Amino acid sequence: MVIGNPAFYLGLSAMLFAIGAGGVLIRRNPLVMFMCIELMLNGVNLAFLTFGKLWGNNDGQVFAFLVMTVAAAEAVVGLAIIIALFRPRQRVDVDEVDELKG
Amino acid sequence: MIEVGSLLILGALVLGSALGVVVSANNVYCALFLIVNLFGLAITFLLLNAVFIAAAQVLIYAGAVVVLFLFVITLLSADADKISTDPHPWQRNVGLLLAGALGIVLAYLLAGAIFFSNEGRGSPNLGIANAGKFDGSVEGFGRAIFGQFLFPFELTAFILLVGLIGAVVLNRQQGEEGNERW
Repeated sequence: MVIGNPAFYLGLSAMLFAIGAGGVLIRRNPLVMFMCIELMLNGVNLAFLTFGKLWGNNDGQVFAFLVMTVAAAEAVVGLAIIIALFRPRQRVDVDEVDELKG
Repeated sequence: MIEVGSLLILGALVLGSALGVVVSANNVYCALFLIVNLFGLAITFLLLNAVFIAAAQVLIYAGAVVVLFLFVITLLSADADKISTDPHPWQRNVGLLLAGALGIVLAYLLAGAIFFSNEGRGSPNLGIANAGKFDGSVEGFGRAIFGQFLFPFELTAFILLVGLIGAVVLNRQQGEEGNERW
């Protein structure tokens, strides 16, 4: 009965989070970094749902729902900041933003 | 056997599309790989009896957030990052190392959460442990979110309002004489 084995879902969640974190660390395009943050949030959602089912109540699903709304708000504000930062610049690269560097 | 095979295909789909998001050179391909990833995750959520979350995943993420990403990608000229050279080439290796370490630590912690907290009662099974008590139906989810979790649910409305106002304020344009044009 593999379909009921929590190790599959939790392993998938851990790997998804690690891939997302690696993407944030490696990529230099802020848009792709944002997509990788979405990957990490989805990995966390998967763990929430798995543990919610393990406990046998709806709390995990409620948490996943809240994470999704916060992720939507975060994407809106983050993309607005990215547009405001990078529209006057030539390249879409996080290394371009170094005005505060001493 | 079919069960194991289809689960492996699902896992490969989710992880492969996640890797596609990270390694694709073209930003539009990144967004499309993200859609594949979100659909695979929605199927996984269905396997976990989270019907409403799976539907909301497709509607909110694949329907709204990724479209927003695609708009911003086209607005900021999709291939503008191809000309730059990397000023910190060592960062890539360090990032890969850190991500691998994070994955190992997370897998260890989650495995510990399953197998060591169960105190010798064997590994728990999602299907059998709570049969009958919890069906993951939309009705149960609605009762939870409008009963016990009503206040956090109302707060999400406030968060979305803040996001809305923030997006407008951040991209207002400066007119002549420093006057703000809305």
